[in-house]
Amino acid sequence: MLLRKILVTGAAASLLLLPGCAGSAKDAASGGGGGGKSGMIPVLNLPAEVDASVGSLVNYNPYSAKPATQTWLYEPLMMQNSLDCKVTQWLATDYKWEGSDKLIFTIRKGVKFADGSELTARDVAFTFNLTKRYPAMDLAGVWNDTFGAHATSVTAQGDKVTFQFSGAAVPKFQGIISQKILPEKKYASVGDPTKYIDKNPNGTGPFKVGSFNGRRLELVRRADYWQASKVKVSKLVLEGQPDATQALLQLRSGKLDFYSGEIPNPRKAFVSSNPKLNHVWYAPNGITALAPNLKKAPFNDVKFREAMAYAINKQDATLKATYNMMHVASQSGLVMPNRESMLPEPYTAENTTLPLDLAKAGKLLDAAGYKKGADGFRTNKDGSPLTIKFSVQAGWIDYEAMADSITASFRKLGLNVKEVKSPPDTVDLAKKTGQFDMMINFVGSGCDYANGLGATLETAQIPTKSEVRGNVERFSDPAVDQAVKSLQATTGPAAVKKQVGVLAKTMMTQYPVMPILYAPARGIYRTDKAVGWPTEKDPYANPQDAILLIMTNLTPAK
Amino acid sequence: MKYFLRKIGFFLLTLWAVVTLNFLIPRLQPGDPAELMVQKLAGKNAQLNLAQVRAMRAMLGTPHGSLWSQYWEYMGHLAHGDFGISYTYFPYKVTDVIGQGLWWTLVLVACTQILSFVIGVMLGAYAAWRRNSRFDSIVTLGSTFVGTLQPFWIALLLLYVFAYSLGWFPTSGGYSQSTPGWNLGFVYDAVSHAFLPAVALMIVTPIGWILGMRNTMIMNLGEDYIRLAKAKGLPDRTVALRYAARNALLPSVTGFALALGGLLGGAILVETAFDYPGLGRLMGEAVANKDYPLLQTLMLLTTTGVLIANLIADLLYGVLDPRARRAER
Repeated sequence: MLLRKILVTGAAASLLLLPGCAGSAKDAASGGGGGGKSGMIPVLNLPAEVDASVGSLVNYNPYSAKPATQTWLYEPLMMQNSLDCKVTQWLATDYKWEGSDKLIFTIRKGVKFADGSELTARDVAFTFNLTKRYPAMDLAGVWNDTFGAHATSVTAQGDKVTFQFSGAAVPKFQGIISQKILPEKKYASVGDPTKYIDKNPNGTGPFKVGSFNGRRLELVRRADYWQASKVKVSKLVLEGQPDATQALLQLRSGKLDFYSGEIPNPRKAFVSSNPKLNHVWYAPNGITALAPNLKKAPFNDVKFREAMAYAINKQDATLKATYNMMHVASQSGLVMPNRESMLPEPYTAENTTLPLDLAKAGKLLDAAGYKKGADGFRTNKDGSPLTIKFSVQAGWIDYEAMADSITASFRKLGLNVKEVKSPPDTVDLAKKTGQFDMMINFVGSGCDYANGLGATLETAQIPTKSEVRGNVERFSDPAVDQAVKSLQATTGPAAVKKQVGVLAKTMMTQYPVMPILYAPARGIYRTDKAVGWPTEKDPYANPQDAILLIMTNLTPAK
Repeated sequence: MKYFLRKIGFFLLTLWAVVTLNFLIPRLQPGDPAELMVQKLAGKNAQLNLAQVRAMRAMLGTPHGSLWSQYWEYMGHLAHGDFGISYTYFPYKVTDVIGQGLWWTLVLVACTQILSFVIGVMLGAYAAWRRNSRFDSIVTLGSTFVGTLQPFWIALLLLYVFAYSLGWFPTSGGYSQSTPGWNLGFVYDAVSHAFLPAVALMIVTPIGWILGMRNTMIMNLGEDYIRLAKAKGLPDRTVALRYAARNALLPSVTGFALALGGLLGGAILVETAFDYPGLGRLMGEAVANKDYPLLQTLMLLTTTGVLIANLIADLLYGVLDPRARRAER
């Protein structure tokens, strides 16, 4: 909640001013701690998954707007690690594309719902056919044309579930494997599932509800879970949604074991207080980039954009926005070095990371006709004054820090940049209306390039009056559109690489957006109870969105 | 009779204006509830998933059609007492959500307000009786100073000192370990959670009463009937309490009725700072999530509360003071 954030930022500031006092926080430690005797972790404390909870109004239905937990009760078909793109089998043991319009899953045998009944392929087909009847639960867009053609049927036969699409639909894979599978027995008779209040969840997940008192949700391990041997946590406690200050105090005192929210300078604030037990890993989750409005002069001039790309002090921005927790980004639009193999010749991780070079940027601008006027600021080609309004999301501290750094650097180049800070909602509105000069925007970097970088460059993804879409800068190029279209129909690695090459080359030569740094997926955790969290050396899961996978890797601390 | 009819007429007119503004104001802000909710679940560093946004729109049934038709729909629903489904707590009804939060706010705010009123009026009366004494100057000066502080600022200070640094009280929530109900564990849990928010509200609220009571009381003390009472040789206690204080109390009682209606506003920031599960925090949540149905109903509740308190005060004045009725003719 924004208000709470503002209030507590104040408190956080006072904490920083009084470092002596901050250390004396005495939040009573709760939870079992220790463990290891029986090879189990007695209890693990996590933040609540929903920001709103009041009284007894609880709902475990995974398709409601804010279920009490998304993760632990109902499970998906598979999980894809967004960092290395490896697919982990879950309720499905295998998948196969036949062409680009037919997808077949093999459903795992021996999986039991909490009530003891067995999961079958019929439950899977039932879930997806339910999303056809009730578009409100079609989170994967299976039955409409978002990212690929819509499905015409989903059928079960034996242990196989077959998706038939009306055309190429490869980008839907990520969404389909993430849908939570419902038991047909329970959900067939509830009417509109999104309006159903599920108080007695019956999922296939590793935990079941122990108790909920309106605030504190206790989940108990299921001994009959299909991979119970991998789950070493006996009890999970989900309580409260702490903000940065509270989370830091709770993490330090052991009241919280894992957090993936933002804590300013976590190395200094958290890790350094006990380097043995306190750890932090920020994985590169995507790209934060500067997005100019290409419909407007001078941003419609590629030479001007090239100069901008060389005038961003990425090192400085990264230091100020993330305390060097993250790395500066490659102009290619792909996360380096993880995806270096996707780059076409002659690009490498190194040569796509543009250095700060104000002299070069200045020469580019001079040559393109943006000369300095009498007041020291550069003018448009026709000599008229050139001012750039920089729309900044107020309250997003890291974005504000990046914006400040960029503004300072651009002004050194002679560009008259003025920051206009407004609430993120207002900036989103500007994305829709196109009334902005430049802003900071997120560029996706999933394993599906059509959904990720493709969405930032494809003409069809230019935001509309009513919908924020990926192509905020309003870039348009038929060659890129063709490449994205091919990606939607391609599963072969060599063909994918070829099309991604088109996108990366566009980024390197057209400068539609200027990547600044890799956006973090945060993992801030303690190892006094459990070990086996993903780390930079062992990035088996994205710490932000794969806690279920992480759970099956945790073991008691010695 | 004409006096009462006119007052009720005014009440209805204002009520209509409030209901209409209540409909318009939330819709003037930018932002789409469905996009906001999807983005929130995914986090800031994630691309907005269009499929999810479309599903969420279908789920919430976010407003469509012209503003005018939405307005008639809204009025129609209100007339039937249908306040809609909360976006944040979908698919729970707004009335269910408010029903859960209402108790927390009522207990917290009503207790602190009544206590504040009693303490404030007593301190004010005593300060006026002993005016220009050391007690009077401390109370008056102290109140003017403390009165400039904001309750939420005091809340943060209390939170920092007593919850974070000393660890005497919990940092957030209305309760934690216990199950709500009439058992000792829960009452203790709830009281320990309510203590700091209550103190944060209690430090500032009595000040209005202190200063108001002191001023009217001093005016009353100058009246002839007080001098007569003193001349009659009545004991000081009787003069102070039964004559001066009793008469000075009247304006404060009307003020109290008015204040009760506007309580929610003052409690929002304090409840938010303590993550206290009352109506104030709900309102903050509703704003943050663009939960129009919840926001509208909460605003309606507060504004009609103030209006009704006003109406009652007006009508009471008419009954209590015949001059008010006569002046209208």
